[in-house]
Amino acid sequence: MGSELNIVGEKTSSLMAPISNIKVLFENNFLVRNLARREVRGRYRSAFLGYAWTVIEPTLLSVVYWFLFIMLAGNPDEFYAVWVLIGVVVWGCFGKSLMSSVTSLSGNTRMIHLVFFPRIIFPTTAVFANIVISIMSSMVVIPLILVYGFPFGIHLIMIPISICLAGFLGIGLGIIFAPLNCIQKDVEHLFRFIVRAGFFVSPVMWTYEMALERGVFGEVVLWNPMVAPITMARHGLVGKWPDMPLYSIAYSVIFAISLWILGSMIFHRYEREAVKHL
Amino acid sequence: MSETVISVEDVTLCFPRRRSLYSLLTSSKNKRKRHFTALDGVNLDIEKGEIVGIIGTNGCGKSTLLRIISGIYSPDRGTCKVKGNISLLAGLGTGFSPHQTGRENAILYGSVLGYSKQKIVDKLPEIISFSELGDFIEEPIRTYSAGMKARLGLAVASAINPDILLIDEVLGVGDPTFKKKSTDRIIEMVEEAGTVIIVSHSFGMLSKLCDRIVLMEQGRIIDIGDPHSVIQTYHKRAEKKKLEGVK
Repeated sequence: MGSELNIVGEKTSSLMAPISNIKVLFENNFLVRNLARREVRGRYRSAFLGYAWTVIEPTLLSVVYWFLFIMLAGNPDEFYAVWVLIGVVVWGCFGKSLMSSVTSLSGNTRMIHLVFFPRIIFPTTAVFANIVISIMSSMVVIPLILVYGFPFGIHLIMIPISICLAGFLGIGLGIIFAPLNCIQKDVEHLFRFIVRAGFFVSPVMWTYEMALERGVFGEVVLWNPMVAPITMARHGLVGKWPDMPLYSIAYSVIFAISLWILGSMIFHRYEREAVKHL
Repeated sequence: MSETVISVEDVTLCFPRRRSLYSLLTSSKNKRKRHFTALDGVNLDIEKGEIVGIIGTNGCGKSTLLRIISGIYSPDRGTCKVKGNISLLAGLGTGFSPHQTGRENAILYGSVLGYSKQKIVDKLPEIISFSELGDFIEEPIRTYSAGMKARLGLAVASAINPDILLIDEVLGVGDPTFKKKSTDRIIEMVEEAGTVIIVSHSFGMLSKLCDRIVLMEQGRIIDIGDPHSVIQTYHKRAEKKKLEGVK
């Protein structure tokens, strides 16, 4: 027992939040792991096909997009279905991470009311769960490697790295708005729209190479931080290191880190007031 | 020698009311207040080793006060200071995952309550035997009855021994036999723990356990003192209100 009376929930500086949040996650790693496990198991355990759905869902989705693309644009290149599949998995990780971070406080009202632990744990566990599920989804590349004869090697590491980067971008953006979503649920609806619209302006149904063929588009699309992770994963699958300007990868990583810094500070600053609205 | 372990100083907490565009347009005449004052200048000092009960009608701020002390809400005004680690027992089984087994949920709930991995591993056999679930412990929780879930929740929650224990209406769960066992267990916990605050409506038990009782009304503390006299005050006020209602 400490010898001093400590103020409950003493306010600490928001400036240190990006680092202190990470410290909190390490200190509570047992809780974080258990909560993430709950998310993953809860989602698939009651289904007959279970974890197989992590692979089935993106595969079916890709078939639909592939079909749609043939109808709209005619003859795509022979690996088009593969590009879409990777795009769906990586984008899916970003979209789900973003949505679950935005709703991380408003969706856990009951738990917030009844137990206290650092609330940054809610968005992080949701995002960890999404990253795990997306990495399981990415196992779909194993049959693709066999069918298309892609080289099997160290380059495949780019796929999980890309998924992690996508998840990191998602949480950074999500926690900026999580407190606001407690006050007005409009935020959640807006973000659902952003995820849907973002799907089209990100290279899910198209590729970076296709944009390059359209001249100036190749430059413009690089402003979107999701271009780098999706393209990196695609290049990793075919056995090469990312074949795109290095600054675009650095841009995406710095973008993600900046979002985390900003998001942590905003989350830390406003989360206490926001939960009173729940 | 007495030392203060919980010190609530002039704590005020307001809950904002949510407004939508629709309600702004339609109900411009009856302007509702934008805030609801849940706690209004509450002062309370609790000494080490004390067992304090809080009573009052529904919505008078009892649970909110416990949430302030446990850190769930931060006060708008005033401060709350504590010494030592705190556990809030409320809503047994918060965060149970229906598709995981009883054992997995015991570990999950334990970690939610802030146990370390080592502590859960040590306590798990005790928890399982206390819950009396037998082979059901390996079944998913969705197959459990409400009473079984409550039993598992209590079994996990009662394995903690914090310096300060806050109990919010978690008495009397399960079938009559288990109810007796659970009440006994909570009384045991109360006696083991250093300092306890209990929110409850069972006056009989409170007057037996508590050193002091706090009576709250509309976010204010209106009486503190020995259990017998405060419960009398409560009944007097309730009767007075009843009479006013009749008039």
